[in-house]
Amino acid sequence: MGVKEDFWGIYRESLPILLVALFGGLFSGLVLEGLVESVERFPGLFVMVPVFLATRGNVYGALGGRISSGLHQGLIDPAFEWDDRLVNAVVASLVNGIGISLVIGVITWLALLLLGWEVAALYELVGIMFIAGVLTSVVMIVGLLGVIFAGFNRGYNPDNLVGPIVTTLGDIFGMLFLLLSVSLMEVLVT
Amino acid sequence: MVTTGSSLGTWDWRSIVSNMFPLLIGLSIIVLWAGITLENAEALLEEFALLAVMVPTMVGMGGNLGAILSARLSTRFHLGTTSLDPRDRVLWANVLAIFALAATIFTSLAVGAYAVGVVIGAEIALWELLAISLGSGMSIAFIAVVFSFVTTYVSYRLGIDPDDTTIPIVTNIVDVFGMLIFIGVSTLVLSG
Repeated sequence: MGVKEDFWGIYRESLPILLVALFGGLFSGLVLEGLVESVERFPGLFVMVPVFLATRGNVYGALGGRISSGLHQGLIDPAFEWDDRLVNAVVASLVNGIGISLVIGVITWLALLLLGWEVAALYELVGIMFIAGVLTSVVMIVGLLGVIFAGFNRGYNPDNLVGPIVTTLGDIFGMLFLLLSVSLMEVLVT
Repeated sequence: MVTTGSSLGTWDWRSIVSNMFPLLIGLSIIVLWAGITLENAEALLEEFALLAVMVPTMVGMGGNLGAILSARLSTRFHLGTTSLDPRDRVLWANVLAIFALAATIFTSLAVGAYAVGVVIGAEIALWELLAISLGSGMSIAFIAVVFSFVTTYVSYRLGIDPDDTTIPIVTNIVDVFGMLIFIGVSTLVLSG
């Protein structure tokens, strides 16, 4: 095997996944563009955006990795059914996903306070993160498990599905629910 | 609802949360830096709306490239097929493939953002978008490659499985650099 074959092998294997991630990224960028005006109403909103998107990847990437290992090892079945391991994995990702969203609201508020920058009220930032965190968690868990199970039952290796699903779904739904959550908060506090 | 932890072992939700939550807080504090950079650039984003369209890809793609390379490197370490010898030609094939992927993706990002700009009526020239996207994108790819090598090698030496903790740390740190470089390069190109 020469360098050239290796090079093209890696390139061809990875490009489709990255292109899917690119489309997800462009779409969520369009949503982010729609949020620019809301930053003046809620200073600190943009601080939370990259952190919120990054934690979606961290929490659900871990869930997907665990589920796909569990399927490989035969510890869980590829179906939505009451299984202690599956329930525990889902509960853990709900606690992690929603819990870290609240933490993001708090540390953003603290960081801007320390920097002496203008910042929205603590309850506004935490409220935005809470609503967006809950909605994103539910959709991500159902979507991720649905795609992994369906893929596994059709003979795809779930290891190859987890990364691109998490990146794409996380970016798209993370930004959409953030936009929805900001709009809700604008209505609630006025 | 939750049975005793002993039968579930590492699948007990309390053990998953107590293992992961501290790491999540640490990573959030690192990525907070990217957020502060973005908030600081709000005026730039208001003037050039297309930049906001590019932000999620700019922030995420470096991490994706780093994750692809790290996963391949750690598999090779596990199989014992590399010793980080600069004469190892497969290593060079991996690195070259990452740069080729970056060039393809960031060219597509510039063209995609330009197309979005035509639709929403934003005014940044295609060559400026290409300069911003490829200038920051290739720098991010370089940082992703360096970080992937260093952290995979160090964690392998320390006996930590890179699949567990190293990859999330690499991808989040590369995300931060992605934001810093993107905002820096954009300011440079558009203020000129």
